[in-house]
Amino acid sequence: MNLGWRLGALALTFAVLFGVLALKMWTIQVTATSTFVEAAQNNLVKFVETPAPRGQIRDINGNLLADNRNARVAVIEGALVTRGGEDLLVRNLAAFSGRPASEIKELVDEARRRGDRIEVVSELTDEQVVFLSEHHEDFVGVRIVDTPVRVYVDGKLAADVIGYIGRPNADDLEKPGVKPTDVLGKAGVERQYDGVIRGESGRIGYRINARGEILAQLSEDLPSPGSTVYLTIDSEVQTILNSSLEQGLLNAREQYRVGGCVPGDEDIGCPVRAVGLVLDATDGAVVAMSSVPSFDPNIFVEGVSEDEWARLNSQAVFNNFAIQGLYAPASTFKTVAYVAALEEGIFPQDVTHDEDNGYICDGLLEFRFNDGSPQLYRDWLAGGHGAINLHDALHQSCDLYFWEIALKVWSGRGTEFEQDLLQQWARKFGFDSQTGIDLPFERGGLIPDQEWFDNAQVETPLLVRDTPWAGGDVMNIVIGQGSVLATPLQMANAYAAMVNGGTLWQPRVVDHVETAEGTILPNTPVAVRDIGMDDRTIQLLRRDLQQVINGPSGTARTAFADFGDNVELVGGKTGTGEVIKRNEDNADEILRDVDDALFVGVAPINNPKYVVVIVIERGGSGGRFAAPIAARVLQFLLNGIEGVSDVGSGAEAD
Amino acid sequence: MALTARRTEPVTILQRERALRPDMFLILPYLALAALGIVMVYTASAPRNELLGLDPASTVRRHIVFVLIGFAVFIASSLIGGRTLRSLSIPFYMGSLLALGIVLRWGRELKGAQRWIQIGPLQLQPSEFAKVAVILALAVLLANAGNTLRWFHIGRAVLLVGAPAILIFLQPDLGTMLVFAFASVVMMFVAGTTLRQLAFIGLAAVVMAVALFQVGAIEEYQIARVTSFLDGAGDEEDADYNQRQSEIAIGSGGFFGKGLFGGTQTNLSFVPEQSSDFIFTAVGEQLGFVGGSIVLGLYVMIVWRLLVAAINGRERFSQLVAIGIASLLVFHVFVNVGMTLRLLPVTGLPLPFLSAGGTFFIAMSLALGLAHSVWMRRSPVPDE
Repeated sequence: MNLGWRLGALALTFAVLFGVLALKMWTIQVTATSTFVEAAQNNLVKFVETPAPRGQIRDINGNLLADNRNARVAVIEGALVTRGGEDLLVRNLAAFSGRPASEIKELVDEARRRGDRIEVVSELTDEQVVFLSEHHEDFVGVRIVDTPVRVYVDGKLAADVIGYIGRPNADDLEKPGVKPTDVLGKAGVERQYDGVIRGESGRIGYRINARGEILAQLSEDLPSPGSTVYLTIDSEVQTILNSSLEQGLLNAREQYRVGGCVPGDEDIGCPVRAVGLVLDATDGAVVAMSSVPSFDPNIFVEGVSEDEWARLNSQAVFNNFAIQGLYAPASTFKTVAYVAALEEGIFPQDVTHDEDNGYICDGLLEFRFNDGSPQLYRDWLAGGHGAINLHDALHQSCDLYFWEIALKVWSGRGTEFEQDLLQQWARKFGFDSQTGIDLPFERGGLIPDQEWFDNAQVETPLLVRDTPWAGGDVMNIVIGQGSVLATPLQMANAYAAMVNGGTLWQPRVVDHVETAEGTILPNTPVAVRDIGMDDRTIQLLRRDLQQVINGPSGTARTAFADFGDNVELVGGKTGTGEVIKRNEDNADEILRDVDDALFVGVAPINNPKYVVVIVIERGGSGGRFAAPIAARVLQFLLNGIEGVSDVGSGAEAD
Repeated sequence: MALTARRTEPVTILQRERALRPDMFLILPYLALAALGIVMVYTASAPRNELLGLDPASTVRRHIVFVLIGFAVFIASSLIGGRTLRSLSIPFYMGSLLALGIVLRWGRELKGAQRWIQIGPLQLQPSEFAKVAVILALAVLLANAGNTLRWFHIGRAVLLVGAPAILIFLQPDLGTMLVFAFASVVMMFVAGTTLRQLAFIGLAAVVMAVALFQVGAIEEYQIARVTSFLDGAGDEEDADYNQRQSEIAIGSGGFFGKGLFGGTQTNLSFVPEQSSDFIFTAVGEQLGFVGGSIVLGLYVMIVWRLLVAAINGRERFSQLVAIGIASLLVFHVFVNVGMTLRLLPVTGLPLPFLSAGGTFFIAMSLALGLAHSVWMRRSPVPDE
């Protein structure tokens, strides 16, 4: 047998195999040994986390809104479940908790896989605590942890602003430092300020052996509690706003149908909800913010029945409609055209360049667009308002006068005026973009223009008519209808800028944050822009808004009839947004007439401090249903608690 | 090296007259490894036994018994002459096949595989002896074939190795199957197989495996066992955990090691199976790179002596036996140490002469003794 080269090759192969082993040994034992020394050390030490209490949430005066109470929770500590002790643990835990063994096994497996704790019994009774302590050797890996549990002191008071908490979802888990066992803010301030509210978990280090049995406690870092957040919300105003909205909504439903109604698809005319907020016009602080029906955020801590959940969800109560609800601002939007008219000198065709000159409003506007198409527009008040000027037009909310302004802009487009002049003014006041409030999920609304319209025709052809952008679109914008959409917060903020001298503030709900060590971190007001309005315009607007309430033919006069003292300090504007329209071809035929009721109030009008916005979704007339709610809130703001009356109904007005 | 030329010289009488002198270069490393094994088995098992409330020395005491039996088997097999061995090879092979059949039908199941036969207090693993039996039988076949291997011989070799391989595959014991494959390919390669023939053998192995599944010769539960082994299934996580702990243990041992009983990984039982399959972990952690290198060096020495024995083997059969046993040893060391270093997957092959595990120590001593016998009955070299 010729062993020659074949044996040589074999010896070489063997040598290579041994060489590979020696090389790998050299790598891990000499080159990288420190890594493994550390890993061996870490094998001997296991850390478990102690949850930090979330920071408190307080109102501007320090009243407690969200706090924590202590609960003793049994957790499976994945790092401490012994290898091989799992079956026994599952059996004992199933018997202890009364939950099926398969469920417990899943929890134990997951806790071990993650090396993290998982709650198994959420509130232990004293007897259970004693039992677990006495039988701890039968529950190796189970710890009793003092866990802070969120408590919302006055549940529904400012649920929209405060928000609620919950377990992280898939998106949250991708954020750095978020573990499945964490509790996170899911909405409102709880979410927006989660980083400062959450605090930092503590850590306990144990020395263990290979079976995972604890030999000794090595270290303990205490958790650092989250910071306390002070809101700009004033609980007293918030309480009044809540009760006013509730009363107003009930009243609107009662007026819609005797005995009330239940909103839904079967009854599309039934008022759905009432939304309101009070904004500090001088710095953008939100004094109160609410939408009714609301919810109690404690249900996210304590749980809620499936039926109750379905009911709440169907009413979309978890949304903050003051910043997420989009409504046609309707006639409350006329102040934008009002300011534009004064600033740019735009007045109806047959009126010379002066806002005081009369214009005959007979309730019908007949004209031809540039393309020659004949048009007929009707004012909301059949028969019209007679001879009026710009100021009367605002007091009485005359559509025709403002349509004439739109027509003038449309006719003069490209020469006298820029085509989107009115939209530009709307945007100056913060419409068409988010206000930047420190709350999540804010929506930006919409001020349509030709560019938007052309894009929408391409992107959503089914929703947009196929004829081009026309003068009629501008006429819709000027009265806040058509595709114009705004949040109640945008409306409030725009009015604040109009009446405060022309400063558009970035609204905010947090006044300052106080860390656990006592450091105060102020949330300074931010001015977005100075609009640069003429002082005369501001003074005229204040006067005319005051007349809407105090003037002989003001649209909100009736609603404020019972106001009492200081009514002369109140200004405002009504609005009635068409949700479901009349038949376009035959204006006499009313298919279904469902409107959103709106009101914007300002007080004190000579030196504006508060802007109050009220929207009743499908509430009907703004003057009739929204204004009385605002009146009640303004009564409180101006006259204190003793001046507050019940919410009634005002007169039917746009 | 032209061995054939040597054999033409009429030296047969002289060889017979030469006394049988042991090869100390082979025996000393063997004894050293066995001794080190006893120490390592003790350090790896005593703390755990203590924890379980057992006598700390119970594992090592049992191991020592097998080591002593192993020494006896080594001496006995060293004394078996080539011709006797050759005549015993085929019966040994047949006996192994029978034992493998028995183990499959009546064997004890442990950790999802049937590998053990219980005889009284004794647990025997026929597959360990089958390793030696296959090497012997293949050596007979290849020696009979002469210098040029025909396709006919290759076919017979495949059948010869294939039969026990299938039985072991059904246990299932993938590691042992790979041992068969490695040793027989090495032997055929040295015996002069052409590359084309080697390729054919590889193809045959694949076809056979597929055919077994297709024909349905394998019961469903057996397929399930094999696939669960291949996929790792539920055991994968544990296997990975074990290997990571093993790597940490060896890596943290550093250059000089942590000293006997100084290894936290070993003492606190982070490494599983540490007195049997993962015994090298105890070496690496406690004795460091130095100790591990010495162990590898001892194996290199033994393998070197086996290759020298093969070169000097008096006849083709003896030479092939020495080669087969050398490859058996190398494969076990490489796969086992590679596993503890997290270089190779977990296959369940123990480490020769070090791992606790009775049958294996005895079988490896038998194999080493047979190879030792080849050296003792080597052809005379000119200066002797």
